[in-house]
Amino acid sequence: MLSGKAATVYEHLYITADSLELVDGVKIPHATFSGSPVFSPKNHRILLNVGDQLDLWVHNLDSIEHEFAVYQLTGNQLIAPGDSIQVIQTFSNPGLHIYHDPKNFPDYTSLGLGGMIVVKDHNHASFYWNIKEHALGSNSTILNGGTVNWGDYNPDYFTLNGRSNPEINNDVDARVTGNVGDTLMIYVANTGQSIHSLHFHGYHVKVVYASDHSFRVGWMKDTQPVSAMEGLILELIPDQSGEYPVHDHNLVATTGGNVYPYGMFTTLLIDP
Amino acid sequence: MLCIPFLLFGCTSFGQADTVISLISKVDIAPQYQLHDGNKVMLMGYSNTIGGSIHLPSPTIELREGDSVELNLWNLSQGPPHTIHLHGLDVNQQNDGVPMLSFAVAHDDTGTYRFKVPHPGTYVYHCHETSVLHVQAGMYGLLIVRPQSADTLTWDGGYAFHSERAWLLTELDTNWHVDSIINHTYDPLATTHEILDYNPQHFLINGLSEHQLIGNVELNAAKDEIVYLRLAGIGYLGNQVVFPPELNATVISSDGRPIPTALQLDTLEIMPGERYGVLLQSSVDLNSVLSVDYFDLNTGSVVNTQNVNVTVEGLVGHDELQEPNEWTIYPNPSTDVITLKAPDLPAGEYEIFAITNSGMIAAHQQINLMQPKELIHLDLSDLQSGTYTIVLATNKSILIDKLILLKP
Repeated sequence: MLSGKAATVYEHLYITADSLELVDGVKIPHATFSGSPVFSPKNHRILLNVGDQLDLWVHNLDSIEHEFAVYQLTGNQLIAPGDSIQVIQTFSNPGLHIYHDPKNFPDYTSLGLGGMIVVKDHNHASFYWNIKEHALGSNSTILNGGTVNWGDYNPDYFTLNGRSNPEINNDVDARVTGNVGDTLMIYVANTGQSIHSLHFHGYHVKVVYASDHSFRVGWMKDTQPVSAMEGLILELIPDQSGEYPVHDHNLVATTGGNVYPYGMFTTLLIDP
Repeated sequence: MLCIPFLLFGCTSFGQADTVISLISKVDIAPQYQLHDGNKVMLMGYSNTIGGSIHLPSPTIELREGDSVELNLWNLSQGPPHTIHLHGLDVNQQNDGVPMLSFAVAHDDTGTYRFKVPHPGTYVYHCHETSVLHVQAGMYGLLIVRPQSADTLTWDGGYAFHSERAWLLTELDTNWHVDSIINHTYDPLATTHEILDYNPQHFLINGLSEHQLIGNVELNAAKDEIVYLRLAGIGYLGNQVVFPPELNATVISSDGRPIPTALQLDTLEIMPGERYGVLLQSSVDLNSVLSVDYFDLNTGSVVNTQNVNVTVEGLVGHDELQEPNEWTIYPNPSTDVITLKAPDLPAGEYEIFAITNSGMIAAHQQINLMQPKELIHLDLSDLQSGTYTIVLATNKSILIDKLILLKP
């Protein structure tokens, strides 16, 4: 992809539900938009070129009703159990969009139903971070028809692509690797409800796109906040080699189940 | 070479460093740091001296752009190792202060961080050993890099200012400041560490809150004085700084880098680890407050607000004027060449700045008066029409006035 002309891209998302095993072995009810009819703890990522038309089918394989929307771009569509809906949308500009289940927002998104649509205009090495926090008990409450008081939201676990430290570095989509002088693009989608403040050791990154804070485009940052449901594109051109951490500088988010350092913490690995 | 003295290994010359700084990491064995409510808590922290108390924040490190720096750490903590992470300086891996990737300094051992500081700006330093605990425990401080050219410039070619303030924003949860945490045992084989829920009760600016801010953290300025406010967040909550509109707050930098377009705003959000540079200037007398909200990053709800008194009155340098140095600029308005008249201006070195309304230096001239003089001429024919602040400065005093340039 990315070398040809704009095209129609056909994709399928499958709403499946099971559980997410957290870093300490605790499991929580979890649902995702999988790229196949089989449950995946990660949401399927949709990659497009600028100008592409997305022809997307979303299939609800769960036993309960869901909805679908591209955040702040398309309207909400209801999907009954066993039913499917189609979304056709052209993406004219580079960016990062979050698709999600907007039902009783943010309830169903919080179950794990949030992924990214990446629209590119380059061929640089790219990495993808779907960041999210999890509060024990809230997913069960939602699935049981209860009400979550988001005013008391106090998450216990913090993940990147569904994983916490030290497992994040085993995700080749997440772990940033490259060489000095490379242009490395990092796509960040905050599908949680908390603000995260990502601190880069070793480098400043350039903000290329920020869906919620567009005034920051062009800024060079070593600590970049990401609002709830915000999409970011960060450009990293490393000027030195080494292994450097990236982590949430709300240091509570570097823990999991109140254990340090089981949280949102990964490392960049840059060769000479 | 700038050298901050230090008992045992302070001023020894290490290689070719321009600046050598030494810090001691320490822990309290009893509560000593007094909070606004009179209660005392225990801290971990960095200090310049063996015997002194630990303060919040730790000593501010001040460096000069381009310096080669050796930063020595002597760990007298009695327990766990410590490090210094130079947050935002982008030092190499060896000197990054992350235990598993660079090095940690064990109890009664020393370590040295070697690095350069190429970018003027506002940074922080903190311990990265079990960082969630050690940062909250008090192991953090500000680090300021000043430009090569002048202490009153934000960076070379940047904005001029008359005075500066630096505020480090954080919180304190007293339940994390008990002996079992501050003096926690160190097991070199342990790879994890349990923490308590974080529910801070104290909301700090430079380690102080509530009535402690009065007389210590305030914004007192003269009319038209340009104040450079450095702001940094090192807590686990978000901050929202609300400026009185009369201060004309303008954000010019973040994380040690200029931002492409300055932002004029009344409210600035600062998230954990971020830093901002803000210019403040009031053209009117003012008695007001600047509020700092502390909000939960999960809910967005404001859990506390600290108020900083703001007073703007008088004229910049008013107390420093030497009678009868009533200075004038004429003609005003002018088209090109102006004359600065200041009777009995003593011999010495002077700098003259023409500063735009947005704080940019539009013209700069250095003058060395070999003998007392009362008239100085300045050619501003290259400048565009507009209102400028004309600053005549020595190392002891500063004279300021407004000038209107009207080009034909």
